[in-house]
Amino acid sequence: MYTSRRNFLSRAGQGFGLLALSGMMQEKLLAATKAKRIIYLFMHGGVSHVDTFDPKPALAKFNGQPLPGSFGEGLVTSRIDFRKARMLASPWNFTRSGKSGLEISDLYPQLQKHADKLAVIRSCHGDAFDHAPAINLRTSGNQFPGRPSLGAWAVYGLGSENKNLPSFVVMSDGAMKSGAGAYGAGFLPAAFQGTAFRSGQNPVLHLASPKGVTPDAQKETLSLIDRMNRRHFATREEDSTLEARIASYELAFRMQSEAPDAVDLTKETDATKALYGIGETMTDDFGRKCLLARRLVERGVRFVQLYQGTNLGDDWDDAHNDLLGSHNKMAKKSDQPIAGLLADLESRGLLDSTLVVWSSEFGRTPLAEGKNGRDHHPYGFSTWMAGAGIAGGRVLGATDEFGLRAIEQPKNVHDVHATLLRLLGVDHLKLTYRYQSRDMRLTDVHGENEFTSWLLNA
Amino acid sequence: MRLLAILLFAISLPGADLSGSAVALLSQKCLACHGSQVQLSGLRLDTREAILRGGKQGSAVTPGQPETSLLLRVVSGGDTIAMPPTGPLTSVEVTLLREWIAAGAPWPAATVASRKWWSFEKVRPTAVPATKDPWVRTPIDAFILEQLRAKGLAPAPEADRRTLIRRAMLDLHGLPPSATEVEAFTKDPAPNAYDRLIDRLLASPRYGEKWGKNWLDLVRYGDTAGFEQDPYQLYAWRYRDYVIESFNADKPYDRFVKEQIAGDEIYEEPAAQQGTGFFTVGPNRDMLFKVEDINRVETMTDFVDTTSGVFLGLTVACARCHDHKYDPISQRDYFKLQAIFAPIVKSRVFLTYSLARQYDLQENTRQWKLYDLTDDFARLKEPYVKRLRAERLAQLPREAQVAFDTEEDLRTPQQKAFFEMYTKQVAPKDDEVFALLTPAEKGRLEKIKSRLLSLYSTYGPGPFSPSVTDVGPLGPPVYIPGKGNDEIPPGFLSALGGGDIPPPPPGSATTLRRKALAEWIATPDHPLTARVAVNRVWQAHFGRGIVATTSDFGARSTPPTHPELLEWLAANFVEQKWSFKQLHRTMLLSSTYRQQTKPSGQAMIKDPENVWLSHFTRRRLEAEEVRDAVLLTAGTLNPKMYGKPVVPALAPEELYGMSQPLANAWVVTSDPTEHTRRSIYVISRRNFRMPLFEVFDRPEGVLSCSRRESSTTPTQSLSLLNSDFTQRQAAALALAAMKGDESTIAENIFLATLARKPDANEQTMAREFLLRQTKLLGTLEQAAVELARGLFNTNEFLYVD
Repeated sequence: MYTSRRNFLSRAGQGFGLLALSGMMQEKLLAATKAKRIIYLFMHGGVSHVDTFDPKPALAKFNGQPLPGSFGEGLVTSRIDFRKARMLASPWNFTRSGKSGLEISDLYPQLQKHADKLAVIRSCHGDAFDHAPAINLRTSGNQFPGRPSLGAWAVYGLGSENKNLPSFVVMSDGAMKSGAGAYGAGFLPAAFQGTAFRSGQNPVLHLASPKGVTPDAQKETLSLIDRMNRRHFATREEDSTLEARIASYELAFRMQSEAPDAVDLTKETDATKALYGIGETMTDDFGRKCLLARRLVERGVRFVQLYQGTNLGDDWDDAHNDLLGSHNKMAKKSDQPIAGLLADLESRGLLDSTLVVWSSEFGRTPLAEGKNGRDHHPYGFSTWMAGAGIAGGRVLGATDEFGLRAIEQPKNVHDVHATLLRLLGVDHLKLTYRYQSRDMRLTDVHGENEFTSWLLNA
Repeated sequence: MRLLAILLFAISLPGADLSGSAVALLSQKCLACHGSQVQLSGLRLDTREAILRGGKQGSAVTPGQPETSLLLRVVSGGDTIAMPPTGPLTSVEVTLLREWIAAGAPWPAATVASRKWWSFEKVRPTAVPATKDPWVRTPIDAFILEQLRAKGLAPAPEADRRTLIRRAMLDLHGLPPSATEVEAFTKDPAPNAYDRLIDRLLASPRYGEKWGKNWLDLVRYGDTAGFEQDPYQLYAWRYRDYVIESFNADKPYDRFVKEQIAGDEIYEEPAAQQGTGFFTVGPNRDMLFKVEDINRVETMTDFVDTTSGVFLGLTVACARCHDHKYDPISQRDYFKLQAIFAPIVKSRVFLTYSLARQYDLQENTRQWKLYDLTDDFARLKEPYVKRLRAERLAQLPREAQVAFDTEEDLRTPQQKAFFEMYTKQVAPKDDEVFALLTPAEKGRLEKIKSRLLSLYSTYGPGPFSPSVTDVGPLGPPVYIPGKGNDEIPPGFLSALGGGDIPPPPPGSATTLRRKALAEWIATPDHPLTARVAVNRVWQAHFGRGIVATTSDFGARSTPPTHPELLEWLAANFVEQKWSFKQLHRTMLLSSTYRQQTKPSGQAMIKDPENVWLSHFTRRRLEAEEVRDAVLLTAGTLNPKMYGKPVVPALAPEELYGMSQPLANAWVVTSDPTEHTRRSIYVISRRNFRMPLFEVFDRPEGVLSCSRRESSTTPTQSLSLLNSDFTQRQAAALALAAMKGDESTIAENIFLATLARKPDANEQTMAREFLLRQTKLLGTLEQAAVELARGLFNTNEFLYVD
């Protein structure tokens, strides 16, 4: 079905109108929001909250004992039984860091230096305890695949800052437990889908000309397409879709030159690379991703989603039978890169307008799985945010004394999504797309407990 | 460029539906105490009249005056009473109510409270408008012309034959015509040449492949189950073949409906029972959680939502959690539908009973034999494996050796790392073991191999098709969650006449609930079934449904543009024995369908979206059509029909993001001639779409898709321009076109891709292009590849006029 010029112009006009309306309603708050883009660091597989950002001394005190009374009733997860499994003390110390004294475990010595930037939400919770549904839930607000992801909604709402690069870029280690749907456009047009960037010369799929076709020959062929299309268009000028496709080839051509440049790390100084841990065995990979993220947001990419961990290799989920090994390894691989990213964004003046989000699909059980493992735990876990005017060094909400359930200021995924959109200046109630006759929202019918004001300390 | 930017990134927020949102809010927050069941303080808030009338405290709303309206005072803290008692409304919600009252408290067109809704009324007999206009060929034209006249518009002239044959072929076959076919049709002197063309296209098996694909979109078909493991649904393709066969056989739609919903309960023939695969080819929610009950609930939800959306054009999903806010569908109605599906269990249809029994028996024996065969193999290898492993372990650093000697649970993190690092290295591969075998042992190995081969070399899929049946004559009880122990009986939507389904007669093998549902849906005078079906076909041919929301005919649907025409089409469809092919004929023979795409000046001003069809609506090829058209015109399309899904070779970078190891998840079909079969036969994995399909808007196959997006993105251009696929097909075409000089080669490539000769300008342009590219690339053949690649990327190739 083609979109006529009038159709999309009128739709666009209406859209901007609605955003303006939402702007008026939220004038005060919006004036305070500064985020123009998001870097979302997704820890794939499940990071233990009680070993990272949510210290629970009670676990040490009652180490090896089952939960008292009825604490474990009503909780289910992948493998363990909450009524029988025993508490497991965190093997890591927590250090009060920065001026704020924010408690961060010694898994993250580098990140501790940025404690005053981090606003930790300790009361995140959900109900999906398997990876695929939980990842879907975290990214799209629904545990089933098929809904647009947060990134897709964000670029649908905000549009692009750089026409020569995709506005929603994803970098993963390959195999996601949820499949690629986790950064899909769902029922939104494909234009809003996350584009997977890979390292190397050709970050975007099919970016390079076919083998054996020289740049001159490629230009020649593009010019042929253009001339054929313009002749075709000459008798069909009323159809702007045809014009848009002609332009899409120009855009593709510009992407061929701009995207490789965006990912060309040789242009960075050694000092910058060292900041991200590039060149060190453990941190090289995620360090490159984080540095790429900075280069991309610098060029106007709206939403960069990075995944650490994969279904077919190193993953936070190895904590099932080896909490110590998995978390030491995965934290080591990402600590320096994330700290480097925060420092680099700050020194370049980008942190004020860039929101950095760190999250996982769920936490891990405060109870042991086997001798040295923790199972999936969606009922209370931590997320942190930094940048974009957020007042850091603070903690929102709390889990109970054993780290089981979010009990103070519980925040579900919709509350988090409503907040992230608001930080971007978008009202989650107004950002809708009609699908199957419903005005669908990222937050569905939820999102009533957003916490933007708290983050901004407004 | 600016246009494109807007097109790509336009924010298309639909208009805020004030009345709908306000009524929805009232329903959510207030109706528990002020609804149809309970009226505290004598107040009801579920109809406009009741709200204006008010309760003991007086009128709740004075239209136009929010600040004095009681409703607004109590929710905004401006009164001694504070409502709702569950907690104050958010400021956004209060603002919504204020704006709604200020706007006069409008009420949406239909809600639960009003049960008259046009699509729930029986199809009205409709007279075709009387006209003697020579443009009118068929009744459709009379309806269309009447509206065009009313809007001050005139129909566009008829398109030329070249355009018509391309349009009809892509719409009916999903493939473009060849130059020969175009030529034959344009030169056909018969006055009924076009009618015969349509008949010929409808009689071709290519028709079922195109329309089967449309149906598979609706029933969220896939060859894998989805979620993390995304395992194969080994026999799903039998259902795909059943759908293609059904369309090709022009199976009456009422029968098609009955076979899919209750083939097992109604028909004896296995071929008809295959239809119930409908329930098995969606994402398998058993993969969702490790908790059976939750998965079951989600599966039931999928059955209710998909069945009502596909066959009735109703979105009932809202009523899972609460009474539908716009349509007359109560939560009780929803669970009555769910009770119909509650007894379902997955099953298999034996396509041929004796063969299927035989297959199962063979399989049984085969697996038994395998038990010993693998033992034998392991014993043969064991001494060598031990020896090699020990030798290799001895080469490792001391610490690593200790790690291997330590029990798994006792290993330190350091030891664990060593263990992981060297495990693969110390494990001998089969080939290394084989090289060491004695001649006698080699003989034993050969024997094992040949035993294995004889067991499996004749292996093939069995004569089964996925299906469902009932667990027995009694269904499990169904309750509304959280609403007590009131068992909900199976039955139909009350707004459509309702009625419970009686228990089956004694001796029945199943509950016969789906049979009752299927027969109810397939009755000739069901208000929705025929309307929904003809509207889907209309959308496919004219770009937009008469009701634009093709899977929603409820209160939130788009009003029909040509209500009388819809009535006439629906009635005619039933009269013509629910024949899809007759329906296509009716539509495609009309003057309306044969118009040019060029809009008149008037049309561009008065009807830019072409709602009134004063010309034909241009469309882009769909994802599968793009691939199939490239293959066909390159001369490589393998027309073989049916069978196991094909897995074409893809470059490693194209397989990025697969959740499972490629060796398991993308097992490339060994016969390369299979790789160029039509797209409908290509494997449809739920966790992974082929890049070309993904960028050209193929749906994910998770939810029912009633209308595809048609976007324009640079990633589409990159994919069609630079992928291995395009390059290989362009090379195949170039090779075939290498006969004669530059001019002839250019002509050959134009004829193949665009089904026409280049005009004089294009001839010069193409010839010069070939010369320049030959200079740049070295050979004329490489230049010809570039010409083919270029023409695959033209709008003339990608759009249907």
